[in-house]
Amino acid sequence: MDNLFAIFISMALINNLVLSKFLGLCPFFGVSKKLSNAVSMGLAVIVVMTAASIVSWIIYFQILIPFGIDYMSTVVFILVIASLVQILELSIKRTNASLYNALGIYLPLITTNCAVLGITFINVRSDYNFIETIVSALGAGVGFTLVLAIMSGIRERLDLADVPESFRGIPVAFLVAMMLGICFIAFSGMV
Amino acid sequence: MAEIIENLKNGIIKSNPVLILLLGLCPTLAVSTSIDNAFGMTAAVLFVLVSSNIIVSLIRNYTPQRVRIPVFIVIIATLVTIVDLTMQAFLPSLSKSLGIFIPLIVVNCIILGRAEAFASKNKVPNAIMDAVGMGIGFGIAITIISFLRQIFGTGNLAVFGNEIFNVPGLSENPMPIFILPMGAFLVISLLLATLRYSGVIKSG
Amino acid sequence: MTKSNLKKEIVPVLFLTFIVCISVIFLYATNSVTEEYIEDAKNDAVNAMLNEQFTEMDDYSYDENLDFYTVFLNDEIVGYAFIAVANGYGGPIELIVALESNFLQDDEVIIHGISVVSHSETPGLGEKIVEAAFSDQFNGINVDDVALTKDGGKIDAISGATISSSAVVDAVFNVVKEKAEIIRENFDLNTEEET
Repeated sequence: MDNLFAIFISMALINNLVLSKFLGLCPFFGVSKKLSNAVSMGLAVIVVMTAASIVSWIIYFQILIPFGIDYMSTVVFILVIASLVQILELSIKRTNASLYNALGIYLPLITTNCAVLGITFINVRSDYNFIETIVSALGAGVGFTLVLAIMSGIRERLDLADVPESFRGIPVAFLVAMMLGICFIAFSGMV
Repeated sequence: MAEIIENLKNGIIKSNPVLILLLGLCPTLAVSTSIDNAFGMTAAVLFVLVSSNIIVSLIRNYTPQRVRIPVFIVIIATLVTIVDLTMQAFLPSLSKSLGIFIPLIVVNCIILGRAEAFASKNKVPNAIMDAVGMGIGFGIAITIISFLRQIFGTGNLAVFGNEIFNVPGLSENPMPIFILPMGAFLVISLLLATLRYSGVIKSG
Repeated sequence: MTKSNLKKEIVPVLFLTFIVCISVIFLYATNSVTEEYIEDAKNDAVNAMLNEQFTEMDDYSYDENLDFYTVFLNDEIVGYAFIAVANGYGGPIELIVALESNFLQDDEVIIHGISVVSHSETPGLGEKIVEAAFSDQFNGINVDDVALTKDGGKIDAISGATISSSAVVDAVFNVVKEKAEIIRENFDLNTEEET
């Protein structure tokens, strides 16, 4: 139980996917201008990450390894993710049209989100068992959403601030990311 | 002919994938801790980018619209796996250094982006030049960042184990922050701001 | 469904399947070619790791069931080694822990030394676990003394990097305690069978 907690905290905060592993940067800077969008995107990512981690774990350890074809993992994992995103997109479209409109093009972008594919690789390479994989994916997704939300809140304010011309927009966003990263280092004292 | 040169220049300067289009940020920031890594990653990305652009362009008239994205993904994933296995076999220390970012080339927005935006709509020679240009543009960006991070972070520059030079004063007291993740954010922020300030890139 | 409708639905899927098949063929081919080299590269890596601890060795064997290496020189056992993974500050720290060859006979378990294979610790702080000043403390130490000095042991932590230091200490202590027992049991059984 201790170990699961440590994995969750590690993935969410200490080894945060965005701030210390550099995964998921594109949506991080692209989506994070409005808080509501950021949170919706984050939730979608949590769902896809967890589902993809579960499915890819099963395929990796039950099919790929026993048959000695683990070199297929890259192809298989990305196809799993692409399919899951399709399914998610269709189900949102059918149940909640307004949410679908709000998320717009961000949904298909989850497929190319390096954080999602990245977490599937991290899980199998760390040799996590089934439960540990789920916890790790949930932690990673929560951490990602957290950082996305913080970032969008800050950027909403930055838009109104007097930022020097050369820094306006993306460069200052990177500086904010840097400072967030420094703050998150403090979390390593937790485990 | 002029068109081909134009495609090449486009990728390097006008639409530099990292500095202008802001694509492919993940590998750029993550592996830019040393020049060796930058070279290795650029080589891998160039190979996948050129090959996938060639293949996508070749089959562009036969690919049904509905499945084109999955088809591109499978092609790119296959090329990436080939690069991954080849690196593990013949360049094991580089493979270990670059870690999961080799397989992550699959979702490098540059490659899928060029396949979708350019290669699927243009002839093979143009597609090749576009890929080469984008690849070189990526290479330049990641090399500059790695260079800065390595110099300030470790105080010396070593390429493939051969020390090129030592910055006096800096090599005794390097600034480790540059090697850490936050250093990457710092460097690219300052780099982009400088490029904008000097007018090389237009802001906004 | 009309015939042309059916065609519209089926053709894209067939095309995709075709592409997937081609890709599988290419991957299978690449894998067959590179498999051997990857194996060799891994063996070279293990050899290099063991060599760091046992400067004079010419062969090693790996016991898959118990997960440990036996190191030889001229057909004589020079020592044993395990791979341990510590929970470092910045991620997993991979270690090689080497034991003296006589630990089967003696009551004490003496550690020959440790080497850090890979880590993601902070440069300038936790990274110092790779330096001799820290890792040499393990040379010839009794496993029961493997603990930080503040915890009553004999290992001085790296100042400013307590987490990295204690991660290594914990991992070394645990893996040796665990493996030494298992190996002793197994070898006792073997010698009984041989006689």
